Amino acid sequence: MGVHIAEILGAWALDAVDGEEGARVEAHLGECSECAAQARHLRTAVGWLGIERTMNPPTRLRETVLDEARRRRPPVLVRTLTGAYAGQVALLDRQLGELGPEDWSRPDPRHGDVAGLIRHLAGNDATLAADLDLPVIPMPGDRIHAAWRRQADILLEGLADDADLDRTVTLAGRDEPGSGPLRRALVQRAFETWTHLDDVRNLLHHTPVNPPPEQVRRIVSLAVTLLPTAVAAQGVTGRPGSGWLVLTGPAGGEWPLPLGEFTIRADAVEFARLVANRRSPDSLEYKVDGDRHLAAQVLRIASTLGCD
Amino acid sequence: MRADETDVRLHERLVAGDDDALAEVYDTWSTLVYSVALRITGDHGGAEDVTQEVFVRLWERPHAYDPRRGALHTWLCVMTRSRALDRLRREATRNKYQAAAAAVAAGDSQAEVEEVAMWQAEAKAVREAIQALPEAQRDAIMLAFYHERTYREVARELNIPEGTAKSRLRGGLATLADHLTAEGIIEH
Repeated sequence: MGVHIAEILGAWALDAVDGEEGARVEAHLGECSECAAQARHLRTAVGWLGIERTMNPPTRLRETVLDEARRRRPPVLVRTLTGAYAGQVALLDRQLGELGPEDWSRPDPRHGDVAGLIRHLAGNDATLAADLDLPVIPMPGDRIHAAWRRQADILLEGLADDADLDRTVTLAGRDEPGSGPLRRALVQRAFETWTHLDDVRNLLHHTPVNPPPEQVRRIVSLAVTLLPTAVAAQGVTGRPGSGWLVLTGPAGGEWPLPLGEFTIRADAVEFARLVANRRSPDSLEYKVDGDRHLAAQVLRIASTLGCD
Repeated sequence: MRADETDVRLHERLVAGDDDALAEVYDTWSTLVYSVALRITGDHGGAEDVTQEVFVRLWERPHAYDPRRGALHTWLCVMTRSRALDRLRREATRNKYQAAAAAVAAGDSQAEVEEVAMWQAEAKAVREAIQALPEAQRDAIMLAFYHERTYREVARELNIPEGTAKSRLRGGLATLADHLTAEGIIEH
């Protein structure tokens, strides 16, 4: 038995050696049956360590797995977008089902009360349905919950797998509606439904809920797509440069913002709440490298991109 | 058997081609899949490969899983186990010294669906064996295994000579392996 190899076998079994040492051990194991038997014995014990406590895979594995899956079987984007929307619809449906009759008249700062809030949401759903030649549900004075749900289901069931996602439809806007491709409108429906779910929960003093990471990323990408035009419309100009939006958390990532020389760092979900105008640039926790003044202006404009 | 509503819905979304559903399955069950894979393969690289194979297969062939026949996490466990054993067998033909390990792991393959419950009993014995280790050895092993430290980093963090770190890792693992052998959990 090689003395030096034998003493390092425990570390080797635990993958706690560097590459060169590992290679040396493995070369030796091919030649020495005594060390090989010992190595097998130790590594079997290591195999059982995993049962003692569960073990998180490395963070980077998530994207590797999802990328490989998408490469092998391309997703059906319509189903991904409607799936995300359906998820938020199901959550809001459950939340509304828990409301007592008196909760519907809880005051809401933007839409009068909870009933007004859901009417507003259903109205934007109906606009998209009309654009897609799908039935529009008239909004009754009461039974708002059921009418909203029916309208959402019509959207969810009305799109075929091969629906044209580039087709131009109405987009909900804060002041007045705009227009854009259907893919953007579907991201917006899920985004708006989540925002109003959060509103209802907030009025009930419940904790906020965060959407799944992929959905947050789509919201951020939507905002990043809309920002240059919105910034130009406000007459805000910076030095030409390569700005970046660097977001953290499960939905984290880096988005280029070629509006000036700055890097804005914030939590991804909180940034999505800013876009929904549920955070102001003053209440958002963020850091800036570079042009602080311009970054603050960009955040202020970002907070106008949602549909309230 | 009444199918779990969440599993049914996730399955429908996977079949439809909604890749957010795969991300959701991954976020819910990757820790379980990775832990099971790591237990069988005994190395992080192998566990990563197996984890990838399992989730990619679910996405590529969602009909291989039928929610009426059982919970998604059970299916994932069975699939992980089978992929990890395949891998071990493949490697065993390359590395003679691993042949016995593969045989041990394959020996209890009948358990299959009851896998999770079976592990709970075994996990208890393993936990006790780990707790029975001298604290100094246990600390060194936990740092190396759960925090992926090299023995040099273990030495630095515990403020001990590298030789001591190596001997604690080896001594602790040997004691643990002997204990698990005596308990009949692993064959000698």
